[in-house]
This record gives sequence, C-alpha cells and structure tokens, in this order.
Amino acid sequence: MRRSVRGIAVVACALFAFVFMGAEKAKPAAKPAAEPIRAKIGVISIITGQGAAYGEAITNGIKLARDEVNAKGEVLVDLKIEDSSGKQEQALAAAQKLINSEQVVAIIGPTLSNEMMVAGPEANASGVPIMGTSTTAKGITQIGKYVFRNALPESQAIPASIGKAVKKHNIRKVALLYGNDDVFTKSGFDTMKEVSGKLKLNILTIETFQKGQADYKAQLTKIASLKPDAVFCSALYNEGGVILAQARKMGLKVPFVGGNGFNSPKVIEIAKDAAEGLTVATPWFGESNDPKVKGFVAKYEKAYGKKPDQFAAQAYDAFHIMANALKAAGIADRAKLRDSLAATKNFQGVLGKFSFDAERDVVMSPIVLIVKGGKFTIFN
Amino acid sequence: MEWLNPYHLQVASFMLINAILGVSIFITLSTGQLSLGNAGFMSIGAYAAALLSTQHQVPIPVGILAGSLLAGAVGILVGIPSLRLSGVYLAIATLGFGEVLRAVLINWESLTGGAVGVAAIPQMGRVILSMARDGGFSPESIGLRNNQFISLSVFLVLLLCTLLSAAFFLRLSRTRVGRAYTAIKLDESAAEAAGIPVTYYKVLAFSQGALLSGFAGALFAHTTSFVSPGDFTYHRAVEILVFAVFGGSEHLLGPVFGAAFLTLLPEALRAISEYRYILYGILLVLMMVFRPQGVIDPALLRRFRRSPKETAA
Repeated sequence: MRRSVRGIAVVACALFAFVFMGAEKAKPAAKPAAEPIRAKIGVISIITGQGAAYGEAITNGIKLARDEVNAKGEVLVDLKIEDSSGKQEQALAAAQKLINSEQVVAIIGPTLSNEMMVAGPEANASGVPIMGTSTTAKGITQIGKYVFRNALPESQAIPASIGKAVKKHNIRKVALLYGNDDVFTKSGFDTMKEVSGKLKLNILTIETFQKGQADYKAQLTKIASLKPDAVFCSALYNEGGVILAQARKMGLKVPFVGGNGFNSPKVIEIAKDAAEGLTVATPWFGESNDPKVKGFVAKYEKAYGKKPDQFAAQAYDAFHIMANALKAAGIADRAKLRDSLAATKNFQGVLGKFSFDAERDVVMSPIVLIVKGGKFTIFN
Repeated sequence: MEWLNPYHLQVASFMLINAILGVSIFITLSTGQLSLGNAGFMSIGAYAAALLSTQHQVPIPVGILAGSLLAGAVGILVGIPSLRLSGVYLAIATLGFGEVLRAVLINWESLTGGAVGVAAIPQMGRVILSMARDGGFSPESIGLRNNQFISLSVFLVLLLCTLLSAAFFLRLSRTRVGRAYTAIKLDESAAEAAGIPVTYYKVLAFSQGALLSGFAGALFAHTTSFVSPGDFTYHRAVEILVFAVFGGSEHLLGPVFGAAFLTLLPEALRAISEYRYILYGILLVLMMVFRPQGVIDPALLRRFRRSPKETAA
C-alpha cells in the first residue's frame, strides 16, 4: 500500500512539474494614451474538431479586422487565439489562460452558446469584457455585466421573416418543424411558436428532428397531409437544405420560412432548385450594394479565397466594435473598456447599424431575404 | 503568490475529474466487463446535482451525494439485466443506454431544460469563497486574489475527492471483493466453480463504476456551473474508455494516469493549436503498436517498487 502511494506521489509530481512549466510572467497591458493604444485581445474559437468551419470563418473575420485596425495605427492589437475544439472544459481552460496567463484586456468568443455559459461567468467574475459573435441562445448577456454579444438572436430574426411572409402569402395555417437537440434551433422554434400565437395563426402540427438526421420523410409526409399554407422551419443549413430538397421532391410546394440559421449559400448548394422561395431573416446580406459590405467581401475573398459568411461578418464587426471602444476608452483597461463597450451606439458595420441595449444585447434590424433564381435576394 | 495561476489549477481540476472517471471505468473493467455507459451515469450525477442545487437550493455536498447515489442505483437497475451480456454485446448495450439517457435529457424539457441545459449552477469555488467571507476570512489575508482562491479551493476539493476514491478502490483490490473481481476477470466459470457469486460481484462492480461516474459528473457540474446533454455524448464515453486503454487497465493507476495525461496533453500543446489533436491521435496509434497493454502495467509498477530512487529523480 505505502509503495503504491509513493507511486502516485511520483506521478503527481511529474504531472505538476509539467503544468507549471507553462507558467508565464504577467505583463501590464496599459500604456499612456498619447501614443497608440496597445492592447492584447484574446479569441476563443473552434479551430479543431466538429464546428471548425465556424471557427475558421470567425478567426478569419477577426484577423482581417485586426489588420485594418493595426494599419490605421491608433489602436495596436495583439491577438491571442485559443482553440476550444467546441468543448466546454476547453473553452473554460482557454478563458482562464487568456485571463490569467496572457492577461488580455478583453475576449472575443467563444463560438457556441454552451461554451459561453461556462466561459462567460469566469470572465465576468474576473472583470474581463467578453463578447460572443455567434452565441445566440437566451440568457447569454444576463450572465453578468461584462458579457456582451453582437450575434442577432433568432428571437429578433424570426419575427421579421414570418411577419413579411404571412403578409405576402396570406398565411393562416402553418406547420412547425425544428431540431430539438440544438440550443439555436430550439430557441428559434420557441420564437416561431410565440410569433404564430401573436399573429393568431393556426398551428396544425409541430414536428421535430435531430442533428445529422438524413431522412425527414416521416415528418414531411405528415405535414403535407395536413395541407398547411406554409412551413416554419427552425434548422441549421446542413439539415435545412436536405429538408427543403426532400419536401419539394414529395410535392410539398408551400413556402418555407426560417430564421438566421437557414441563411447560408450552402442551403442553395444542397437543395439546388428546391431552395426557391425560401424566406429567411438575417443581419448579413453579402450581395448588398452597401460600399462597406462590398469592400469587406472583396478583401475577404482576396485574403482567404472564398466569400465571407455571416459568422465571418459578425466576427469582423465585433472586432471593430471592440477597437472603437478601446479608442473611446483611451487606455487598455478592462473596466474602462467594459464601460465604453456598453456605451456603443449606432456603430456602422457590415451588418448595418448596431447598438447594445441596456442588457448588453443586440439592437439591430434584420433584413428579410428570399431565394430567387438560385440566390438570396431582398424580399419585398 | 503570483505563481498560483487559475489557468493551471483549472486544467489540474479537469485532470482530477477525469481521473475519477478513469477509476470508474477501471472498476467495471476489473471484472472483465467492458461498459461504455459511464458517460450516461455521469450525466445522471451531473443533472441530479445541478437540478437539486438550482431548483431546490439543496447544499452542494448533499446534491453531489444524492447525484452519485442515484447514478449508483440506476447502475444496479441497468446492471442486472445487461450483465447477462458480455464482451462487445455489453459494450453496445451500455452505449445504447447512454444514448437513451441523452435523448431523455433532450426531450424531458420541463425538468432538464432540453438542449439548452441547466445554467447558473452554483460553482464550488465561489460558494466556498462566500462562505469564507461570511466566516470573516478574506483570501487577501493569505496573499491570494479572489479568483486564485476560488480555483485553489476547487482544486483542493477535487484533489481530496480523487485521492479518497483512488485510495478506496486501491484498498478494495486487496480485499475479498477485489480478489473476487480478479477471479471473475481471469475466468468466470472457474470463479463460479470456486463458489464466488459471480452475478452479485458483477452487478456490484458495475454499480460501483456507475456511482463513481455519477460522482465525477456531479463534481463536473459544480466546477463548470453549466451542463447540457451535449456534454454526455458517446464521444465522452469513448474518451473515458481511451483513458483506460492508454494508461493501462491492469492496475488502478493506469486509467488515472491516462486520464491525467490525456487531459493535460491538449493543453500543453496549445502552442501548435491546429495540430494538437493530430498529435493526440498519433500518440494513441503509436501506443497501440508499441505498448498495447497501456503505459502502466504490473511489470512497470514492479520496477518502480524495486528502485523508487531512480525514477523519483
């Protein structure tokens, strides 16, 4: 017994030596305001594993914005990008590392709402502003006064698309379809139900599916037999595209209305002609004629060889909001940055006009889009 | 006390929680049963503790205890029928059990909040801090910042829990129960012929493993302060299995070492972010080629014992 205890002790010592080897000296982040403001900003993103595509778009958007800001020279930002691989423990460890080892002035990320639920309270307790660019679940900014987001929640996107579609197609009876194992699609569904109630629509049926499902015929057959005027579908693009393709194939021709999750060129790639008539609401419209959007799309395409999606755009804007707040604060200080972030009003980004409300949540008006001729166009 | 970095303590805390999970899979493996239900049992412990403390204001230790016991009780219920299966069939049945549980967590929205999960679970460290403050103690008096104190107290609680559970099961392996486990593992029919009640001991080991997984889950809930069904997918079940495969399943220290090492590795490799999981994979493949029994096996431990001075240096 004693010997094995000694064995444990040896192993434990070796492991702790390993952990503490990584310890770094903390650096003061603040500098006088006369010269450019130097700041270290941390990013927590999914770089490896499932969901890395989101993380890639987000880090690309942030890096592009960083290069622009640093080129101007008023604010010089040193980015520290940490991987969370989509796991909460890793997001928490990454946040701890950024807060305590890297001594960053603020954090952008993490990617998923679940990760924010874990990293957010820690950053809040340590007094580090943290801003989600893709965290749309309910209750994110209610974590505490250091938690921000610039991602448009489904609760703001969906009423816009439903409102317009109902008016145009004179919809009375609807079927609801949603993914029930995902925070994003679930909260989208909650909003759909609420809005349908407000508009006094007759909900014929509520059907569910799971992430990664390949066959939706059972749900779609049932929906088709009830003859709704429209289907409100809360899905992410990978499932959404397949649902559309299968619905059209079995002759369900009614309009499909979705939220922000449905908004990706990938939907059209997957569903092809079946995507015609899909109505979504989103803050991000890449085909817009706004010179700001055009400039961003061109720069992004040149740098990364593909068009930016909504995640890249949101991250790009988030970084600019952060940089502006730093400039307004005049010093790279966590508490001062928080106050000037919270004061952000009418910031003009690629997603349009942006403000934080009193609870540090998003205020912006989404655009409603419809798929026509194989691409997203503005709905009128 | 500047060297006391909450980041390192955080990583160490996850190493300890995973070490408890490592012990939990070792117990069932020590009777020769391969169970992949540990992630499921972990979710029972985590959700029970989380819901008790958020909705019924039960004190944290009571919630943890209740979560562990509930997981253990479910372990008995699941164990009795499924232990008629063995080998890969048991593995698949328990894996299925875990997935069923996850579907329940997703769909029983009124209780579990569905896919959204349970948020704002009291975090151990913060509760200890506020208790210490009420008792008139301030961390500044021993030169600690608040977040250092929080992380340190979580780490110490987890260290105590891990040492106690490891010590208990190390002890157990030298008792009548432990010998019975070994006998069953080596040859079930021979063990039965020698008068060992095989079913009793198998269910006992299975539910001990379930109880410990639930314990780890409850600790996890109070460390991260958030749980959702996505934490307990089959990836988690496989991860726990890999602790035992990598560390070695012949001795209790094997899975404990595997858990600690494999939790630390991705953190230590943060510098090469994109490639770290590639290295993780390569390491596992190399292990299977050159040391299929895992890092720690009885032969290695014997060598340790003969010359502790050499290795301690």
